[in-house]
Formats: sequence, C-alpha cells, structure tokens
Amino acid sequence: MKAGENVVQVNTPWFDPFTRWMLIIMFVLLALIFGAAKYMDMHQMQGGGTDDAVNAMASSAAHVQSHPFINLPGDAQVGAFSVANFFVGMIVGHSWKKLFEKDEE
Amino acid sequence: MHIEDGILPPQAWGMWYGITALFVYPGLREIKRRVKENLSYKPFLSMVAVAVFVISSMHLPVPVTGSCSHPCGTPLAAIIVGPLATAVISLIVLFFQAIFLGHGGITTIGANDFSMGIVGGISGYLCWKLLRRFNSPLWLAGGVAGFVGDVMTYLTSAFELALSLHGHIPLVRQWMIFFAGYGPTQFPLAIAEAVFTAVVLQVMYNRRPDLLPGVTGRKRFSKIERIDMEEQQS
Repeated sequence: MKAGENVVQVNTPWFDPFTRWMLIIMFVLLALIFGAAKYMDMHQMQGGGTDDAVNAMASSAAHVQSHPFINLPGDAQVGAFSVANFFVGMIVGHSWKKLFEKDEE
Repeated sequence: MHIEDGILPPQAWGMWYGITALFVYPGLREIKRRVKENLSYKPFLSMVAVAVFVISSMHLPVPVTGSCSHPCGTPLAAIIVGPLATAVISLIVLFFQAIFLGHGGITTIGANDFSMGIVGGISGYLCWKLLRRFNSPLWLAGGVAGFVGDVMTYLTSAFELALSLHGHIPLVRQWMIFFAGYGPTQFPLAIAEAVFTAVVLQVMYNRRPDLLPGVTGRKRFSKIERIDMEEQQS
C-alpha cells in the first residue's frame, strides 16, 4: 500500500470567521497593552502591581515581612504563566466547540 | 487582592478560612446537584474556572496611575455558573495561583477567596438579578455586575487588611488607606471588566441563551446533550 492511500482528506478551514475575530480581538488588546506600557515607560512610571504595593504597605503597618508562597524570579514568571495558559487554552478549546458550536440546522 | 502569607495573623486568616468554608460547602453541594441536572454543566464549569484563572492572573498596565492590576472574572462566573459554585472555583484558582505563579499565599486563600470569589461574585450576581428584574438590557446588567463585583473585591481585601492591622488608627480610616492603594488603578480596570462582562454575556445570549439563568431564549442543546439524547433514543 502506498503511503497516503486510504487517507480521508478533510478540508479544515484555517482562517475561518472565528479565527479572524479571535485574532482581531487579540491584536486590539495587545495594542492597548503595548500602548499603555510605552506611555508608562516614556513617563518613567514603574508599572508595579498594586497587589505588591498594598502588601508592602500592610507589611510595614504590621511590622512583619510578607512573602508570596513561591517567589518566581525574572522571566520564570512569564514561563509559568505561559505553561499555565497553554493548558488553559487546551481545556477551553476542548470544551468550546461542544458547548458553543452553532446548530447546523 | 492577592494578600500574601505573613501579613494576616493566624486568628485572622483562620477566621477567613472558616467564613469561606460556609460558602464553599454549599457550593460543592450545588455543583453536585447541577451536574446531575445538566450534562453540560461540568465542562462548562471547568471552562469558567480556567477563564477566572487567566483573568485574575493577567496584570494589565494602567497608564493613569503608572501601575498594574488585574480584573477578577468572578462577577461573570457568578452570573453564569452561580455564586456558590464561583466560591468553589475561586478557591481552586487561588490555590494554583499561589503555588505556581507566586500570586497570594496559602494561609491567605480563605481571605482572598472571600474577597474575590464570594463578595466579588455575590455582589455582581445580585446586581445582575436586580437589574434583570427591572427588565434592564442584558449589556447594562452585565456591565454593572462586572463593575460592582470588581470594586467590591478590592474594597473587601482592603477591609480584611484594615480589620487586622488598623491598631490605634480608626478602622474606616485604615480601610480607606488600603483601598487608596488599590482604587486609582482598579477603577479603570473595573470599567474594562464591565465591558468584558457585558460582551461575553451578550455573545452567550446570542449563542446559548439557555445557559444564562434568568434569560429566556430558545432551548439549544449542546453537542454533549445531543449525543446523550441520541444514545438514549437508540
């Protein structure tokens, strides 16, 4: 048997309306984030998290040293966030079509 | 609103764990009940849980104040899966955020769940129910729910800190001091959360109105339900 024989070819749309809309929304959100970050950079704003700022404020009020359960240095946080969101995307994608696909009728 | 370990004294975080348990236990019972009633509820709940995880981890820069903060996602979750179930999924979300992303702490999961999962969820849900009762447009009810739930989350976090740490300073003053740390950055994000909540609810209404409690619409069956019905018929 030749390679590729008996293989049913399924036409999978790669740039359907759903993908287009998702990409448009993603680029709009990224543009807003980049624009805000650029503005903050130009005006020498630190861009720190308010959670950290209030935790530091509370630590100084209580005269204790607060700490997160785990402290991820530098780019490790981006890595952890990426891994988590990759699998989040897989879970959402797995259920999405079953729950939200349009009825063919 | 991710309070870290070491700030709240043991009696405070123990108390918040206890209060949170009062909502989580009936939440678990509600999930069990609704899973039996609706076959789509379990995958839907998992989708909502991971959405809350992403939304509440996502630090967005706010150029008005020069700092970053995150929305919550729990008002939306409370509307679509129920406020008690939201308390449960927020607990799970906060646990994973603490152990993998360094957001919050283990001892403070009770306090953080109370602010984000319980008060944020229930306040948003009540706004939604109230406005829908007066036949408010879907986008308005969803938007107000998102805004109120977001702001209430941070007000509660500030209150939790102030209650334990106010010392000789009046409680309300200390509460407002802590909220001043969150508020200026959080208000623009609360508006963003309002828009996001309204858009998601509107899209859900267009696609699956039967998944939205309190919104009437043509019953549409999910693929899981259709497969199950076909199996039962055959």
